[in-house]
Amino acid sequence: MTGRVIVITSGKGGVGKTTTSANIGTALAKAGHKVVLIDTDLGLRNLDLLLGLENRIVYTIVDVIEERCKLKQALVKDKKNPNLSLLAAAQTRDKTAVNAEQLKEICDTLREENDFVLVDCPAGIEQGFQNAVAGANEAIVVTTPEMSAIRDADRIIGLLATKEEISSTKLLLNRVRPSLIKSNEMMSVDDVIGILEIPLIGIIPEDTGIITSTNKGEPIVNDENALAGKAYRNVAQRILGEEVPFLDLDEPKGFMAKIKNAFAKLKVKV
Amino acid sequence: MGLFSSLYNKVAKFFRPQEDDGEASKSVATNRLKLVLMQDRTNLTPRILEQMRSELIDLLSRYVELDKELLELNFEQEGDQVALMLSIPVIRAKDEEEIEAALKAREEQNSKSEGNNEETESDGDSESNEDSDEIIDERTEEEKAEAEKADAIAKELQDVPTIIKKKKVSQPEEMGNNPFKGDDNSEKVELESTTEA
Ligand SMILES: Nc1ncnc2c1ncn2[C@@H]1O[C@H](COP(=O)(O)OP(=O)(O)O)[C@@H](O)[C@H]1O
Ligand SMILES: [Mg+2]
Repeated sequence: MTGRVIVITSGKGGVGKTTTSANIGTALAKAGHKVVLIDTDLGLRNLDLLLGLENRIVYTIVDVIEERCKLKQALVKDKKNPNLSLLAAAQTRDKTAVNAEQLKEICDTLREENDFVLVDCPAGIEQGFQNAVAGANEAIVVTTPEMSAIRDADRIIGLLATKEEISSTKLLLNRVRPSLIKSNEMMSVDDVIGILEIPLIGIIPEDTGIITSTNKGEPIVNDENALAGKAYRNVAQRILGEEVPFLDLDEPKGFMAKIKNAFAKLKVKV
Repeated sequence: MGLFSSLYNKVAKFFRPQEDDGEASKSVATNRLKLVLMQDRTNLTPRILEQMRSELIDLLSRYVELDKELLELNFEQEGDQVALMLSIPVIRAKDEEEIEAALKAREEQNSKSEGNNEETESDGDSESNEDSDEIIDERTEEEKAEAEKADAIAKELQDVPTIIKKKKVSQPEEMGNNPFKGDDNSEKVELESTTEA
């Protein structure tokens, strides 16, 4: 078997890479695929927390590289989902503990026995990024509709374009707030795609449920009722090649809002 | 610095009428972002753009009288292709004599800078660069100062809401449409030359 290795990256920190990795990984595993998640954010590990696996980590990726354990020993299986396992980052080691070749080797080994290897990338464009992309053949660039995040995403997209091994780069737009887009205070999905010019794989709404799901150590895809959960399930389906329409995040527009909007438009033209 | 506060004022002026207008926020973001990404993707920093712009003004001014304020140097991107769009509002055509005079003046300037190095000091012109070592040194210093200013401006521009130029009534084109508009740097050229004089 040759699984797909997908790096989840962004440039800017805090835009939702780890949240996305945890949710897509969980959704793909729930759909019956064998998935390994790799946390490459050395010193700032978080993926274990989002999956609720923090107490079960014995070995980390650095232990594997420094040959203190076998790769298999370091994989922590998810309690509910035997299809899903995690290779945790070392919390005590800095980013120089791993190099790109080592990570590529790990990815190459893992893809032999898994359908998906998802690599959660650290922020930035330095060594951590180079490591995370080294073994990947696909990329998902996460951004929010904010200028600084988009600028960094553009930088990352440019860097990914120079990597021959990466055959597909898709955009995941996170923390979208329809009400702000409607009042023209936030860039719309079309605006962002128009600027970054790469295909879209998902639109995830801002959802306070993500906070509570993090608190519980349970990805929001497990919550059937959460909008963000549904959006992430859709992303997983698209990764699997299905055509799923993007969620319509529009809220019904009230009469007053319509009036206000009409006036806002008038004002600009005068 | 006077230069900066004037720049700030311009930008502020541009924004005042739209301050409490929801529409502004998003399109301002989109426009600023497009400009900054154009700079990220190419090697055209605000400083280099300014250089390009002032050289173009010098060149074109020999042949036509143009409105320096309104000269626009824009980049338009379509897919992989970037086009350089130059829009030159011509105030009036120069007559033959004027053109000849301008060309002659330039020639004199060139030969002057070849022959007499000291006098090039006050000459902020960027085209006289076929010169001796001494002149090259002179220009490097000048460029350094220029670079410093430009960097300061560039830094400042990052903090300012936008660097899109305030449109005048004579230009009907809607402001939001083209993100790669010439910025307020045209002002800068003039300010610089006056401080040097
Ligand atoms: N769609 C969302 N709605 C609400 N909060 C979100 C959403 N996506 C991410 N967050 C929050 O943003 C923060 C950063 O997310 P994280 O996935 O850790 O980003 P990164 O890995 O890119 O640094 C977290 O507190 C997370 O709960
Ligand atoms: Mg993270």
